[in-house]
Amino acid sequence: MQELVLIQPGGTLRSESAREAAQAETRREFEERLAECGPLAYRVARGVLRNSADAEDVAQEALLRAYRSFDRLRDRNRFRAWLVRISFRIALDRLRSAKRREQRDVLWSQPAHQPPAATAEDLAASSEFQLHVDRALAELPEKLRLALLLAAMDGHTIDEISTLLVIPVGTVKSRIFIARKQLAEKLRCHVNLTKTR
Amino acid sequence: MPCEPYQNALVEAAASGLEPQGELRAHLAACPACRAALAQEQSLFSSIDTSLHAAVNVEIPASLLPRIRTQIAEEPAVTRGWIPSWLTVAAAAAVLVAFIAARPLWRTGVVPAPVHTASNVSSPATSVLPPHDQNLNAAPPAVTNSAPAIRTAAGGNPASPNAMPEVLVPRDQEALLVSYAEQWTQRRRAPLVAANFDPTNLSLLQIAPIQIDQLDVKLMTEEHAQ
Repeated sequence: MQELVLIQPGGTLRSESAREAAQAETRREFEERLAECGPLAYRVARGVLRNSADAEDVAQEALLRAYRSFDRLRDRNRFRAWLVRISFRIALDRLRSAKRREQRDVLWSQPAHQPPAATAEDLAASSEFQLHVDRALAELPEKLRLALLLAAMDGHTIDEISTLLVIPVGTVKSRIFIARKQLAEKLRCHVNLTKTR
Repeated sequence: MPCEPYQNALVEAAASGLEPQGELRAHLAACPACRAALAQEQSLFSSIDTSLHAAVNVEIPASLLPRIRTQIAEEPAVTRGWIPSWLTVAAAAAVLVAFIAARPLWRTGVVPAPVHTASNVSSPATSVLPPHDQNLNAAPPAVTNSAPAIRTAAGGNPASPNAMPEVLVPRDQEALLVSYAEQWTQRRRAPLVAANFDPTNLSLLQIAPIQIDQLDVKLMTEEHAQ
């Protein structure tokens, strides 16, 4: 079938080259941000999923989505905040579908296979406690969880988290405080159990 | 010493990471059990923070960024302008609705090109008749032929001063109709009508008399008696 096109004589070559130049500029600008923001996407995903392979997949998907929609982002200074939300959302979706697929509660239901941990560092490093933290973190409301994850990342001050989440500094502090308290409530019994064993 | 009132304060002090102040500080100085409880809470929060820190501050896989760069390079070009924003879509929809709403008004105000469907017309006779009410500015004269099909543009009001009716016209009379339409659009209506008025072409309208059967009338009293 013959394809019919509307041609503006004399304007085709100019518009085509201008479009290609604009695309090259967009790609260059995105790649600059990729080096800066790629790790952020990965860490957000890693914080939610606790799995490096899944986090890598999520970060890749988030960055590709961001690239496809990059032109629609009017304020490029908000790219980091935008990417954090995309990564967090995709990671949550993947976590939910993974939960539906497989029951990871086998380890959760058998917590006594590790020796008791003495110090906070030992406790944190133990896979048993890590599982409890993962579980408790997954039960946190999404807003609290994201604020807590960003606060745990190196180099993120309260002001930066406020900028990323587009919420006031006081709200960031409040969310982090509440999130930590809720985590502690969920984990307290496991710590006591570990120490008294 | 009662420790119950200080339990929440202990947890909040540990959660905030700040040193206890005021009454709690005084109580802790005098209560070894609460000091131990505070230490345990601080240890718990420290464990949580350490765990979270270890979970999120991981090394980025070396393959991540090259993989993404490769995928971006393979992606079709970013379609700038092809996918309109919602604002653009809304504006386009508003323009479309306005256009549809204004279309009937617009159509009645424009002189359309005459529609020629000569193949369906057998009679070559075409004449230009003056309007019977002689109100030349109010209604355009009708271009007619012997075929009965005469339509107005888009069903518009034929009395509109600018409306041009759509007519059926034989193919060999197209030039006349085009000429007529051009003169009509130039508002040369009266000379046009006067120049083409030929009373010999007029014929009296023949109307057959109405046939009415004889009525069969019965009085109600007779019908009632039967």
